[in-house]
Amino acid sequence: MRAADAAYRIGPAAPRESYLNASRIIEVAKRSGCDAIHPGYGFLSENADFAQAVADAGLIFVGPPAKVQRLLGEKTAARRLARAADVPVAAGTEPLRDAAAARAAAKEIGYPVLLKPAGGGGGKGMRVVARDEDFDAAWRGATGEATAAFGAPALYLERQITKARHVEMQILADGHGKVVWLGERDCSIQRRHQKLIEESPGPSVEDGLRAKLGAAAVRIAERAGYVNAGTVEFLVEWTGKFNFLEVNTRLQVEHPVTEMVTGLDLVALQLRIAGGEPLRFTQDEITRRGAAIECRITAEDPFAGFVPASGRVALVREPAGPGIRVDSALFSGMTVPSEYDSLLAKVIAYGRDREEAMARMRRALEEMRIAGIPTSLPFHRAALFEQDFIAGRYDTDFVARWDPKKAPELSDGAAAAGALAAVLATRSRGERRTLQPSDPAWARAGREDALR
Amino acid sequence: MRYEVTLDDRRLRVDLGQDGRFTVDDRVVAADVRETVRGRQWSITLEGSSYEITVVTHDPLRLDLDGHDVRAAVIDERALRANRGASGARTGRVELRAPMPGLLKAVHVKEGDVVDRDTPVVTLEAMKMENELLAPIRGRVMKLTHVSGTKVEGGAVLAVLVPE
Repeated sequence: MRAADAAYRIGPAAPRESYLNASRIIEVAKRSGCDAIHPGYGFLSENADFAQAVADAGLIFVGPPAKVQRLLGEKTAARRLARAADVPVAAGTEPLRDAAAARAAAKEIGYPVLLKPAGGGGGKGMRVVARDEDFDAAWRGATGEATAAFGAPALYLERQITKARHVEMQILADGHGKVVWLGERDCSIQRRHQKLIEESPGPSVEDGLRAKLGAAAVRIAERAGYVNAGTVEFLVEWTGKFNFLEVNTRLQVEHPVTEMVTGLDLVALQLRIAGGEPLRFTQDEITRRGAAIECRITAEDPFAGFVPASGRVALVREPAGPGIRVDSALFSGMTVPSEYDSLLAKVIAYGRDREEAMARMRRALEEMRIAGIPTSLPFHRAALFEQDFIAGRYDTDFVARWDPKKAPELSDGAAAAGALAAVLATRSRGERRTLQPSDPAWARAGREDALR
Repeated sequence: MRYEVTLDDRRLRVDLGQDGRFTVDDRVVAADVRETVRGRQWSITLEGSSYEITVVTHDPLRLDLDGHDVRAAVIDERALRANRGASGARTGRVELRAPMPGLLKAVHVKEGDVVDRDTPVVTLEAMKMENELLAPIRGRVMKLTHVSGTKVEGGAVLAVLVPE
């Protein structure tokens, strides 16, 4: 909001009364005199009714039209469409009536299964069920979450493919029948089915597979009459076998990695497409150069199973330097609320090759500071040094296998300085609690002593 | 004042003298200590090496030491003395607390119910995720402190169980 030219109140913090309140958003849009709404990548960005309501109000929806969202937004319908477009799809069901019917279907497909909201996205409401006896609890949790996040409780089942990579293909389609693919992103590093690290090119995707995934994504988009930016998600097994997962009918959080390697501004292109302009380049003119990695820094404690944290940010230092981009909402003194997603900042590193991108990312993460609340930063710092990551040999189990107890080796000097700071921090906190003057005499003395 | 400090797996003893000098593991350390952000960040130069230490969180104590994440604990000598002998006064009650602030979406049990370990007691919604909080022990639900639909603070007691 600090970067915006104008701000209008759309309601209280609870998403239901504000960011999910379509009529309120449209009313504000009309009052402000704007002619288009970009829905971002959360809340109503994949809501067909919202896209329709925006169009009905005489405004431009920056994204695929309601008709396309309906075709692809309901995940089981998207699976049918992919199959018709000759794209492989994992074994699964149609939307399920109730827990009993779902349980029966799960037995038939065979555990582990994946319970997914038919109307959802972004990993919300998804549950892996490994055993029959866990099924009912998973069903309850997923139903509640799907209702809260999307207002639609319908769930379906899919066979859980383990030891696979989550690879997605970015597409662009103009309103004149032209569809192109821009390249893939490997987003396998996830917790609770939400991504933590994304990169392009995928370290294990060779040219042949890339072309196949691109062609499959374009076939799906053409069949759906797609317009604007979108992402087709696949699960790729180590054999190279791939299955269609779903289409995200919006801009993705991780779009910067594609922007870095293609040099294209995806949001600008979204606006041009929404304004009716044709794409000014062909598939062959899209070039990918170098490698880009994104780390999503979230308000979550990686030492406590990534449980979300909220509170006040006491200190922020964002990294900079060659090839580093930071998309962030952070500032010192901000309060991280518990009502919204835990994403705080995205750190993106670009390099001529993956090696250079990794080196730049390591340095950037080392430079970054966030204090006041726990964040995922320790995980990201560690991940960039994990053998499997360095070798590009990771899959969707990466986070589960990560050992948060593995501590960095401290030199004797670092340990002494750390121990001293730990004592000073504890004392300073105790003093502020009992309202004694800060800057204690011994600290002043210590400083003077050292300068002598 | 004497302190026992734990940094990850490493134990160190820090003595702060009245004169402003300090020792680490009984070795006198010559350092330049500057508090760069009050109560949050210190710049410490020690025998030609420079370190920046940021307190990420106080409780639990987590430090950022030049871009490395360190879990720390500090016990002063008074607490060390007080701790001896006083450990583990058992009350026989187990509290289920909210691990984060959020909205109490559902309460799955009634007061007086006997629940098995890992039975869902409440569902807490935070950051658009629903989390079922499970009974940490098998026991009787002695008290439920909130009804569903209530916003709760992080650390708030949600239920009290007595072992059965």
